[in-house]
Amino acid sequence: MTRDELQAQCEKIPFFRFLGFSIVEAGDTFILACMEQSDRHIGNPVIQAYHGGITASLMEAVASVSVSHNWAILRPKPINLTVDYLRPALVGTLYARAEILKKGRRMASIETVAWQKDTERPVAKGLFHFLLV
Amino acid sequence: MARIAEVWNERAQGLITELNLQIERSEPDGVQLRMPHNPEFCVDEDGTLLHGGILTALLDSAFGLANFLAVENLDTMATLDLRIEYLSPAQSRADVIVFAECYRQTRHVVFNSGRVWFDTPGQPEIARGSATFSIMRGANSLLDKLNTKGPGQ
Repeated sequence: MTRDELQAQCEKIPFFRFLGFSIVEAGDTFILACMEQSDRHIGNPVIQAYHGGITASLMEAVASVSVSHNWAILRPKPINLTVDYLRPALVGTLYARAEILKKGRRMASIETVAWQKDTERPVAKGLFHFLLV
Repeated sequence: MARIAEVWNERAQGLITELNLQIERSEPDGVQLRMPHNPEFCVDEDGTLLHGGILTALLDSAFGLANFLAVENLDTMATLDLRIEYLSPAQSRADVIVFAECYRQTRHVVFNSGRVWFDTPGQPEIARGSATFSIMRGANSLLDKLNTKGPGQ
Protein backbone atom coordinates (compact mmCIF):
# COMPACT_ATOMS: atom_id res chain seq x y z
CA MET A 1 0.00 0.00 0.00
CA THR A 2 1.24 3.49 -0.77
CA ARG A 3 1.43 6.22 1.86
CA ASP A 4 -1.70 7.89 0.45
CA GLU A 5 -3.67 4.63 0.45
CA LEU A 6 -2.65 4.00 4.05
CA GLN A 7 -3.66 7.53 5.01
CA ALA A 8 -7.06 7.01 3.37
CA GLN A 9 -7.49 3.75 5.32
CA CYS A 10 -6.63 5.51 8.57
CA GLU A 11 -9.19 8.24 7.93
CA LYS A 12 -11.96 5.62 7.90
CA ILE A 13 -11.28 4.82 11.56
CA PRO A 14 -13.16 7.12 13.97
CA PHE A 15 -10.55 6.96 16.76
CA PHE A 16 -7.74 7.67 14.29
CA ARG A 17 -9.65 10.78 13.21
CA PHE A 18 -10.01 11.71 16.89
CA LEU A 19 -6.22 11.51 17.25
CA GLY A 20 -5.71 13.28 13.92
CA PHE A 21 -2.33 11.90 12.88
CA SER A 22 -0.80 11.68 9.40
CA ILE A 23 1.37 8.96 7.90
CA VAL A 24 4.71 10.53 6.96
CA GLU A 25 6.51 7.47 5.63
CA ALA A 26 5.65 3.82 5.16
CA GLY A 27 8.37 1.22 4.75
CA ASP A 28 8.21 -2.57 4.61
CA THR A 29 8.99 -2.91 8.30
CA PHE A 30 8.13 0.49 9.73
CA ILE A 31 5.65 3.36 9.81
CA LEU A 32 6.42 6.98 10.67
CA ALA A 33 3.55 9.30 11.63
CA CYS A 34 3.10 12.77 13.05
CA MET A 35 0.33 14.42 15.03
CA GLU A 36 -0.33 18.10 15.71
CA GLN A 37 -1.44 18.93 19.24
CA SER A 38 -5.09 19.82 19.81
CA ASP A 39 -6.87 20.71 23.06
CA ARG A 40 -8.40 17.25 23.30
CA HIS A 41 -4.90 15.69 23.53
CA ILE A 42 -3.91 17.58 26.66
CA GLY A 43 -3.46 15.84 30.01
CA ASN A 44 -1.71 18.57 31.95
CA PRO A 45 -3.05 22.03 31.09
CA VAL A 46 -0.52 23.80 33.34
CA ILE A 47 2.38 22.83 31.08
CA GLN A 48 0.17 22.04 28.00
CA ALA A 49 1.48 18.48 27.94
CA TYR A 50 -0.03 15.60 26.00
CA HIS A 51 -1.98 13.09 28.09
CA GLY A 52 0.08 9.93 28.56
CA GLY A 53 -2.88 7.95 27.23
CA ILE A 54 -2.79 9.95 23.98
CA THR A 55 0.92 9.30 23.47
CA ALA A 56 0.25 5.60 24.09
CA SER A 57 -2.78 5.69 21.76
CA LEU A 58 -0.74 7.24 18.94
CA MET A 59 1.96 4.60 19.37
CA GLU A 60 -0.63 1.79 19.43
CA ALA A 61 -2.34 3.19 16.33
CA VAL A 62 0.92 3.47 14.39
CA ALA A 63 1.99 0.00 15.57
CA SER A 64 -1.29 -1.48 14.31
CA VAL A 65 -0.87 0.28 10.95
CA SER A 66 2.63 -1.19 10.57
CA VAL A 67 1.09 -4.66 10.88
CA SER A 68 -1.93 -4.00 8.68
CA HIS A 69 0.25 -2.44 6.03
CA ASN A 70 2.37 -5.54 5.64
CA TRP A 71 -0.23 -8.24 5.62
CA ALA A 72 -3.38 -6.42 4.60
CA ILE A 73 -4.86 -7.33 7.96
CA LEU A 74 -7.51 -4.75 8.59
CA ARG A 75 -7.77 -5.00 12.30
CA PRO A 76 -4.94 -6.65 14.22
CA LYS A 77 -6.10 -7.47 17.75
CA PRO A 78 -4.04 -5.84 20.49
CA ILE A 79 -2.90 -8.30 23.18
CA ASN A 80 -0.85 -6.15 25.52
CA LEU A 81 1.52 -3.24 25.70
CA THR A 82 4.16 -1.65 27.84
CA VAL A 83 5.05 2.02 27.65
CA ASP A 84 7.98 3.83 29.24
CA TYR A 85 7.45 7.56 29.67
CA LEU A 86 10.83 9.24 29.37
CA ARG A 87 10.03 12.97 29.13
CA PRO A 88 6.89 15.12 29.14
CA ALA A 89 5.41 15.56 25.65
CA LEU A 90 4.89 19.31 25.43
CA VAL A 91 3.28 21.77 22.99
CA GLY A 92 3.99 20.97 19.36
CA THR A 93 4.11 18.09 16.94
CA LEU A 94 4.41 14.54 18.25
CA TYR A 95 6.14 11.97 16.02
CA ALA A 96 5.83 8.22 16.38
CA ARG A 97 7.66 5.44 14.61
CA ALA A 98 6.68 1.78 14.78
CA GLU A 99 9.14 -0.94 13.81
CA ILE A 100 8.21 -4.59 13.38
CA LEU A 101 10.49 -6.67 15.62
CA LYS A 102 9.00 -10.04 14.79
CA LYS A 103 6.25 -11.16 12.49
CA GLY A 104 4.88 -14.61 12.96
CA ARG A 105 1.85 -16.29 11.49
CA ARG A 106 -0.27 -15.55 14.54
CA MET A 107 1.59 -12.93 16.55
CA ALA A 108 3.46 -9.72 15.92
CA SER A 109 5.77 -7.79 18.20
CA ILE A 110 6.15 -4.09 17.43
CA GLU A 111 8.51 -1.56 18.98
CA THR A 112 7.56 2.11 19.00
CA VAL A 113 9.21 5.38 19.86
CA ALA A 114 7.68 8.86 20.17
CA TRP A 115 9.57 12.15 20.11
CA GLN A 116 9.11 15.83 19.39
CA LYS A 117 11.96 18.05 18.18
CA ASP A 118 14.86 15.68 18.63
CA THR A 119 14.87 11.96 17.76
CA GLU A 120 17.68 11.54 20.30
CA ARG A 121 15.37 12.73 23.07
CA PRO A 122 12.34 10.40 22.93
CA VAL A 123 9.30 11.21 25.07
CA ALA A 124 8.14 7.59 25.23
CA LYS A 125 8.95 4.09 24.06
CA GLY A 126 6.54 1.23 23.69
CA LEU A 127 6.30 -2.48 23.00
CA PHE A 128 3.06 -3.82 21.53
CA HIS A 129 1.87 -7.37 20.83
CA PHE A 130 -0.89 -8.09 18.33
CA LEU A 131 -2.83 -11.20 17.42
CA LEU A 132 -3.14 -11.49 13.66
CA VAL A 133 -5.71 -14.26 13.35
CA MET B 1 -12.71 12.74 49.31
CA ALA B 2 -15.77 12.86 47.05
CA ARG B 3 -15.43 16.66 46.84
CA ILE B 4 -11.72 16.44 45.94
CA ALA B 5 -12.51 13.94 43.20
CA GLU B 6 -15.28 16.17 41.85
CA VAL B 7 -12.90 19.14 41.78
CA TRP B 8 -10.42 16.98 39.82
CA ASN B 9 -13.13 16.09 37.33
CA GLU B 10 -14.79 19.51 37.07
CA ARG B 11 -11.57 21.46 36.71
CA ALA B 12 -10.28 19.03 34.13
CA GLN B 13 -9.45 20.14 30.63
CA GLY B 14 -8.31 18.40 27.48
CA LEU B 15 -8.69 14.65 27.23
CA ILE B 16 -10.35 14.24 30.63
CA THR B 17 -13.19 16.47 29.40
CA GLU B 18 -13.53 14.34 26.25
CA LEU B 19 -13.81 11.16 28.34
CA ASN B 20 -16.88 12.68 30.09
CA LEU B 21 -16.25 10.72 33.29
CA GLN B 22 -18.65 10.23 36.16
CA ILE B 23 -17.16 9.44 39.54
CA GLU B 24 -18.85 6.50 41.23
CA ARG B 25 -16.41 5.88 44.05
CA SER B 26 -13.61 8.04 45.40
CA GLU B 27 -11.73 6.69 48.41
CA PRO B 28 -8.03 6.59 49.32
CA ASP B 29 -8.08 2.83 48.68
CA GLY B 30 -9.58 3.09 45.19
CA VAL B 31 -11.65 4.98 42.66
CA GLN B 32 -14.34 3.84 40.26
CA LEU B 33 -15.24 5.87 37.19
CA ARG B 34 -17.85 5.52 34.46
CA MET B 35 -17.12 6.51 30.88
CA PRO B 36 -20.21 6.81 28.67
CA HIS B 37 -20.05 5.08 25.31
CA ASN B 38 -18.57 7.34 22.63
CA PRO B 39 -18.41 6.24 18.97
CA GLU B 40 -15.47 8.61 18.40
CA PHE B 41 -13.31 6.24 20.48
CA CYS B 42 -14.10 3.26 18.24
CA VAL B 43 -12.30 1.66 15.32
CA ASP B 44 -15.44 0.78 13.33
CA GLU B 45 -17.89 3.15 11.66
CA ASP B 46 -20.75 1.51 13.60
CA GLY B 47 -19.10 2.71 16.78
CA THR B 48 -19.17 -0.56 18.72
CA LEU B 49 -15.52 -1.63 19.05
CA LEU B 50 -13.40 0.62 21.29
CA HIS B 51 -9.77 1.24 20.36
CA GLY B 52 -7.34 -0.12 22.93
CA GLY B 53 -5.72 3.28 23.26
CA ILE B 54 -8.79 4.79 24.88
CA LEU B 55 -8.77 2.05 27.54
CA THR B 56 -5.10 2.82 28.17
CA ALA B 57 -5.94 6.53 28.48
CA LEU B 58 -8.83 5.71 30.80
CA LEU B 59 -6.63 3.59 33.08
CA ASP B 60 -3.85 6.20 33.11
CA SER B 61 -6.37 8.89 34.11
CA ALA B 62 -7.94 6.72 36.81
CA PHE B 63 -4.48 5.94 38.23
CA GLY B 64 -3.82 9.66 38.43
CA LEU B 65 -7.03 10.27 40.40
CA ALA B 66 -6.36 7.25 42.66
CA ASN B 67 -2.93 8.69 43.50
CA PHE B 68 -4.39 12.11 44.01
CA LEU B 69 -6.67 10.71 46.72
CA ALA B 70 -4.23 8.23 48.24
CA VAL B 71 -1.02 10.24 48.57
CA GLU B 72 -0.68 12.92 51.23
CA ASN B 73 1.03 16.20 50.30
CA LEU B 74 1.19 15.19 46.65
CA ASP B 75 2.97 17.96 44.76
CA THR B 76 3.66 16.50 41.32
CA MET B 77 3.30 13.12 39.65
CA ALA B 78 4.33 11.66 36.32
CA THR B 79 3.66 8.25 34.80
CA LEU B 80 6.90 6.29 34.73
CA ASP B 81 5.58 3.22 32.97
CA LEU B 82 2.37 1.52 32.08
CA ARG B 83 1.42 -2.04 31.20
CA ILE B 84 -1.99 -2.87 29.75
CA GLU B 85 -3.49 -6.27 28.95
CA TYR B 86 -6.45 -6.42 26.58
CA LEU B 87 -8.35 -9.40 27.96
CA SER B 88 -11.27 -9.56 25.55
CA PRO B 89 -12.62 -7.56 22.59
CA ALA B 90 -13.95 -4.17 23.74
CA GLN B 91 -17.12 -4.53 21.70
CA SER B 92 -20.29 -3.03 23.19
CA ARG B 93 -22.38 0.11 23.31
CA ALA B 94 -22.52 -0.09 27.11
CA ASP B 95 -20.78 2.38 29.43
CA VAL B 96 -17.24 1.48 30.45
CA ILE B 97 -16.36 1.18 34.14
CA VAL B 98 -12.82 1.48 35.47
CA PHE B 99 -11.59 0.70 38.97
CA ALA B 100 -8.12 1.89 39.93
CA GLU B 101 -6.13 1.69 43.14
CA CYS B 102 -2.82 2.83 44.52
CA TYR B 103 -1.75 -0.34 46.35
CA ARG B 104 1.67 0.78 47.51
CA GLN B 105 3.28 4.14 48.02
CA THR B 106 6.84 5.05 48.92
CA ARG B 107 8.59 8.40 49.21
CA HIS B 108 9.30 8.72 45.48
CA VAL B 109 7.26 6.04 43.73
CA VAL B 110 3.67 4.79 43.81
CA PHE B 111 2.27 1.56 42.35
CA ASN B 112 -1.14 1.23 40.69
CA SER B 113 -3.38 -1.46 39.34
CA GLY B 114 -6.74 -1.31 37.66
CA ARG B 115 -9.48 -3.18 35.86
CA VAL B 116 -11.88 -2.20 33.07
CA TRP B 117 -15.23 -3.74 32.19
CA PHE B 118 -18.50 -2.91 30.43
CA ASP B 119 -21.54 -2.12 32.54
CA THR B 120 -23.20 -5.33 31.36
CA PRO B 121 -23.74 -8.24 33.75
CA GLY B 122 -21.93 -11.43 32.79
CA GLN B 123 -19.58 -9.83 30.27
CA PRO B 124 -15.89 -10.60 30.88
CA GLU B 125 -13.35 -7.98 31.92
CA ILE B 126 -11.93 -6.14 28.92
CA ALA B 127 -8.62 -4.87 30.30
CA ARG B 128 -6.24 -4.85 33.22
CA GLY B 129 -3.48 -2.40 33.77
CA SER B 130 -0.66 -1.58 36.11
CA ALA B 131 1.55 1.47 36.36
CA THR B 132 4.24 3.13 38.40
CA PHE B 133 4.30 6.87 38.92
CA SER B 134 7.14 9.06 40.02
CA ILE B 135 5.89 11.49 42.68
CA MET B 136 7.08 14.51 44.59
CA ARG B 137 5.64 15.43 47.94
CA GLY B 138 5.75 18.99 49.15
CA ALA B 139 4.04 22.03 50.51
CA ASN B 140 2.41 22.98 47.19
CA SER B 141 -0.42 20.50 47.14
CA LEU B 142 -1.92 19.43 43.83
CA LEU B 143 -5.34 20.32 45.18
CA ASP B 144 -4.30 23.96 45.63
CA LYS B 145 -2.97 24.02 42.07
CA LEU B 146 -6.19 22.42 40.91
CA ASN B 147 -8.22 25.14 42.60
CA THR B 148 -6.18 27.91 41.03
CA LYS B 149 -4.81 26.69 37.72
CA GLY B 150 -6.47 23.43 36.79
CA PRO B 151 -5.09 19.94 37.31
CA GLY B 152 -1.31 19.79 37.08
CA GLN B 153 0.40 16.45 37.17
